[in-house]
Amino acid sequence: MGLVATAALIVNALPAHAMNLYKQDGVTSSTITLGITSPLTGAAAPGYNKVPYAMQAYFNYVNDNGGVNGRKIKLIIKDDAYNPVLAKSVTNDLVLQNKVLAIVGSLGTAENEATTRFINDHGVPRLFVNTGYSGFADATKYPTTYTVLPSYVMEAKIMGQYLQDNFAGKSVAIIYQDDDFGADALKGFATAGTKFVVKIPYASGSQADPTVVGKWISGLAQAKPDVTIMFGVSSATAAALGGAYKAGFKTQWLLGSVGGDGTTIATVAGPTAVGLLYGAIGASFLPAPTDVSDPYVAQFQAINTQYNAGVAFDNNVLQGMNTAMLTVEALRAAGSNLTRASLLKAIAKSGSTFASAGFAPLGYSATSHVGYNGYWFGTYGPTGAIKPNGGTYTLYTTDSGAGAVVKTTSKRPALPAKGLPNN
Amino acid sequence: MRSRRFSARQSALFLSLLGLVLLVASRFVDELRTYQGAQVAVYVIAIASIVLLTGYSGQISLGHGAIMALGGYGAALSFTVWNFPFPLAILFGTFVGTVGGFILGVAAARLSGPYLAGSTLALAVGLPTLADQFHILGGEQGLNFDIGDPPHWVAKLGGANFTQYKWFFWITTIIALFTIWSITNLLHSSFGRNWRAGRNNAVAAGLAGINVPRGKVLAFTVSSALASLAGGLFGLLLGLVTPTAFPLSLSFAIVTGAVLAGVGSLAGSILGGVVLVAIPELSGALATHLGGSQKVTANLPGLLMSSLLILVVLFMPDGVRVRKIK
Repeated sequence: MGLVATAALIVNALPAHAMNLYKQDGVTSSTITLGITSPLTGAAAPGYNKVPYAMQAYFNYVNDNGGVNGRKIKLIIKDDAYNPVLAKSVTNDLVLQNKVLAIVGSLGTAENEATTRFINDHGVPRLFVNTGYSGFADATKYPTTYTVLPSYVMEAKIMGQYLQDNFAGKSVAIIYQDDDFGADALKGFATAGTKFVVKIPYASGSQADPTVVGKWISGLAQAKPDVTIMFGVSSATAAALGGAYKAGFKTQWLLGSVGGDGTTIATVAGPTAVGLLYGAIGASFLPAPTDVSDPYVAQFQAINTQYNAGVAFDNNVLQGMNTAMLTVEALRAAGSNLTRASLLKAIAKSGSTFASAGFAPLGYSATSHVGYNGYWFGTYGPTGAIKPNGGTYTLYTTDSGAGAVVKTTSKRPALPAKGLPNN
Repeated sequence: MRSRRFSARQSALFLSLLGLVLLVASRFVDELRTYQGAQVAVYVIAIASIVLLTGYSGQISLGHGAIMALGGYGAALSFTVWNFPFPLAILFGTFVGTVGGFILGVAAARLSGPYLAGSTLALAVGLPTLADQFHILGGEQGLNFDIGDPPHWVAKLGGANFTQYKWFFWITTIIALFTIWSITNLLHSSFGRNWRAGRNNAVAAGLAGINVPRGKVLAFTVSSALASLAGGLFGLLLGLVTPTAFPLSLSFAIVTGAVLAGVGSLAGSILGGVVLVAIPELSGALATHLGGSQKVTANLPGLLMSSLLILVVLFMPDGVRVRKIK
């Protein structure tokens, strides 16, 4: 009776548990449990795998300084290998087994999309998702989701404006990832009215093939653009810069924020690749991770040294700590009677006033789940460090629709004492 | 028919009883376990496709993850773009995968051993990423396949707190049990006997009047139908299909499941499915227990799975199954 035995095995493997209504999960009198899904292994891991641990380091720092309303924060980190199937099953684990209060900083467009239905059904707050896909800002479709990164559409619109301001009349080319990431970018450039002498799409992953990269460069060499935009991930940026250098092709590079982190480029393409960044222009919404004169960067670096020992401080670490800081402010704003509902309400009510390292304002309100909405531009030095053009962070802000791009000198809230939120 | 232990009617009765027990059990089991139960059911169908192909017809495929992708994309496309009701969408996905499998089967019948393994492997690597190239397939973000809440009458039948995951569990379990029943009957028909004859000795089978190449194409086609059915249900569980949902590791996982099951045993495929779902769970618990670092936690499932595979091949070459269906 093979079937009976195996059936018995299945039934045994499915122990009965009491039902619960999930609403009060993740909070006890002394702890707050949060979860994150991120690629810790696989092709997308380099760089991104530092984000959850940077968040954990910041939470540990807050815990050692009294926690949030007397509660210590525990972050449960799950690897999804940048695979939506795994993302869904580890999110199930986080919510149903680990009983987290909220998911924070989960990475990837398809990975977050795969868990949306489940997250919505269970009313789990999904805060500060680590993707620039503009769709997640839709508060009707994603009622518990809050974005933090400016969208790719915003980034492209702002780049278009920057080109008009600084490279008027010059010819422009673009290399972009041929999927939603790139499609969002093209949409933004179209809105900004940017015209290209040549557009070079590439399939995600094909940048590893030298013949593909060779085609990019020969395409560029034919069109002879004054400015070339690279809108892809770090490995593609490294491949393009390396290919151009080998072929002796010169252009003014303008790099998208996703692929422009010096440390990640060093990780994926070796330390010598960093030198290729020299002279390129890049965009960011956070201060440069090397800018120790920035109070946020200095504070986060100090926390990193103490709580995340041995990990090089870069954009990923900066972003992780910044996300963790926003999370702590959201938890504080929800008060001591912390529930999923009170947490979401608190962000809608006071999220736009949270202190954070980003120069662009946060757009959170009762109707908007959009985080940062702007970028500043800088130029890379020979060590891969980026410095703001003109010495100060000049910000461009916009929206993901047809709104204008505005040049501002936005003032961000000051760093709370010792980097510990006091809202 | 003499070698069978049950008649078709007896096994139908037994599997229906089993289904009933599982469905009733789902009322008392939490959501996480029901979702995992649904995953087991999908893996059972996928593993059964390999058992049929390798165990009975003697062909190897390392590319069944790609066939699952055909089924998943076919189902999601017809559901999202052409507004098919979801049962029809799953059938359409199965149809797409069956046609794809037939074409592949014609080529496969001319290949054997490492050549067949290599060419199906290439398919597993290449096919899912092709979806990136066609706008209608949704690019990297994939296609939505959210079938929504269970219908009222099902929710009523299922009792209080009947969530979407329990609905998935019902759908996949019923389909998996029905599939096992149909395939058991098929394997005990003249088709199954001819496949086994061709597998054991192609020349002798040919001399006995069996058209071996045709049998191989048919086996590959039926196996692909099963894999694409599993692919459609896989997309259903996920709520969407994307190229990254059908990685190379999926093809390997179902072959591993089949080896653990003993490639000649359909009942073993249930055990294989349980193992595939349980290993990541166990390794997570083990890693927490060991207080392991990031590297340990991330690599433990792979290590456990491959150790288990090696141990099974060394000590139980016929699989961990309870008893073989002859």
